[in-house]
Amino acid sequence: MKTDVLRIGGRELQSRFFLGTGLFPNPYVQQEAIRASGAEVLTFAIRRINLEAPEDDSILQYLEPGAFHFLPNTSGARTADEAVRIARLARASNLSDWVKVEISANERTLLPDPVETLRATEILVKEGFTVLPYTSDDPILCKRLEEAGAAAVMPGAAPIGTGLGLLNPYNLGLIVEEANVPVIVDAGLGSAADALQAMELGAAGVLMNNPVAKAKDPARMAQAMRLAIEAGRLSYLAGRVPKKRYASASSAPEGHLLP
Amino acid sequence: MNETVVVLGGGVIGLSCAFELRQRGYRVKLLEKERCGGQASGAAAGMLAPYSENGESPDAFFRFCRESLQIFPEWQRTVRYVSGLPFEYTESGSLYAVYHEADRLALETRLGWQRRNGSSGRIVEGEELFRLEPRLSRNVRAALYTPEESHVYAPHYVRSLERACRLIGVDIQDRLEEAAVVRWEREIAVEARDGRAFGGDRLLVCTGAWAQELADALGIPIPIQPIRGQICAYEAEDRPVRHMVFNSQGYLVGKGNGTLVCGASEDVAGFDTSVTERGIERLRAWNKRLFPFLEGRTPFHRWAGLRPATQDGLPLIGPHGRVVFAAGHYRNGILLSPATAKLAADWIENGEAPADYEAFLPSRFEGERSLSAR
Repeated sequence: MKTDVLRIGGRELQSRFFLGTGLFPNPYVQQEAIRASGAEVLTFAIRRINLEAPEDDSILQYLEPGAFHFLPNTSGARTADEAVRIARLARASNLSDWVKVEISANERTLLPDPVETLRATEILVKEGFTVLPYTSDDPILCKRLEEAGAAAVMPGAAPIGTGLGLLNPYNLGLIVEEANVPVIVDAGLGSAADALQAMELGAAGVLMNNPVAKAKDPARMAQAMRLAIEAGRLSYLAGRVPKKRYASASSAPEGHLLP
Repeated sequence: MNETVVVLGGGVIGLSCAFELRQRGYRVKLLEKERCGGQASGAAAGMLAPYSENGESPDAFFRFCRESLQIFPEWQRTVRYVSGLPFEYTESGSLYAVYHEADRLALETRLGWQRRNGSSGRIVEGEELFRLEPRLSRNVRAALYTPEESHVYAPHYVRSLERACRLIGVDIQDRLEEAAVVRWEREIAVEARDGRAFGGDRLLVCTGAWAQELADALGIPIPIQPIRGQICAYEAEDRPVRHMVFNSQGYLVGKGNGTLVCGASEDVAGFDTSVTERGIERLRAWNKRLFPFLEGRTPFHRWAGLRPATQDGLPLIGPHGRVVFAAGHYRNGILLSPATAKLAADWIENGEAPADYEAFLPSRFEGERSLSAR
């Protein structure tokens, strides 16, 4: 089989599963889940990290040094300026030059602020960051983010932590059709079926935290998600059959295979 | 009531359950392999902080923690009165400190649901913040102040519990080295290393990080893992820290005996309770950012305990035949001791508990076994 790698910002990834490191009940379960996920890219909130000693941070300390690529996020930022400020802090402490722009204006929905997200993306791209903005599932906005230099766009399936699944598969499908950069579906997924649906729509990857970390058995759910993402990817590449209104027999009438 | 309950484990949970059950008229035998309070209970910093420990949402676990905080004042008065042994209980309030403007959104979200759930907290910053906690770093941007939170001096609290238990007639057998459950389905029989057998009608499992050892004997999955928590203490006679102060990395709390406790550096190390240089250095890497006066100071005391961590973060409290579990309290054993004692005793006495707390039933992990039997 042809190798199917994901390329973002000059980096080749075998895994299409991006995992958040927060919310796990304890370090043991977190380690088991990360292992089971096969994820290469891990994300975390910059504001929660001890930037002066990241290797001793309360979350990052458990990760094997060099084994993962970090995608620090600007969660909590409410303006582009705030997001830019903390992205610079993360880069200054050598965590990563990747950044997930996450700018929320509403404390109840945490939905991304499109105007500020675009502005932060423009600024950070100019400063040489590999920028992956978390954005609304708006096809035009995703296009604008791509034009601003985003290395990938990350439309949300539903508000963060809701587990509602893909609220607007039509829009996500359009975003994938139009995009010239990888589309990573981020936020709002609940089950393996949601991850599979996102991948079948042609997403290049999936980012999640809550559905794994808050599962009764996080390591097992991480494995389920990993398999769903792989299955969804293969299904997308293989191409599904068209839907038909009526039955067509599975066994050919004249037995062409075994004459 | 003539039923005898055999309680396994002399940590804060086992002692609290024994204390409650004895008061409800049960005969109680408490079996401890080493000495009471010798593991996580004696190592704990004793924070009664459901709001600082639960940042996400008011779920069943939070509600349980909050209930325990609410009954703690009366509970500790009873323990103090019955034992005749005092211990520190300080209603200090807490501060959860943040460094970035971007932390405000999370603080506001948290404050919103916590104020609907019994907190009179507020976000403090600038002059007000530094008036509350004068030696806090000026780099701290804001803090969530929760006046309702308090703390106890855990080693003394556990010692008082043990004394109170003995005084009201709990039969405490310690230093047993081993406590093997040999029968549990029709009656309870537990055997010590020296061959002595202890019988009863019900068994209450309160063995914390060691509870998993009983999985085979009791025929039930018990997904509890030990997480090592390392703590250190500074000499601080001048009481430089007034509240319990938390941040994303850990906490500091000033104790009545003139020490300042800083915890906890967690890692996965099996049942090893040794203190590591790296573990303590981790604490020192962040605590000077919170309180600059700690720069260059050396802790005079370092220790570690094993936190019983469950697979889904919730404790195991509820029945399994004649057995009742009360284990897996992770970071919240001291806080949850009174509410757990009452819940476990309710299970034993009435065979039921509030629907909300069915989230803690040990049977929730049995899914795999019942599925494979289909």
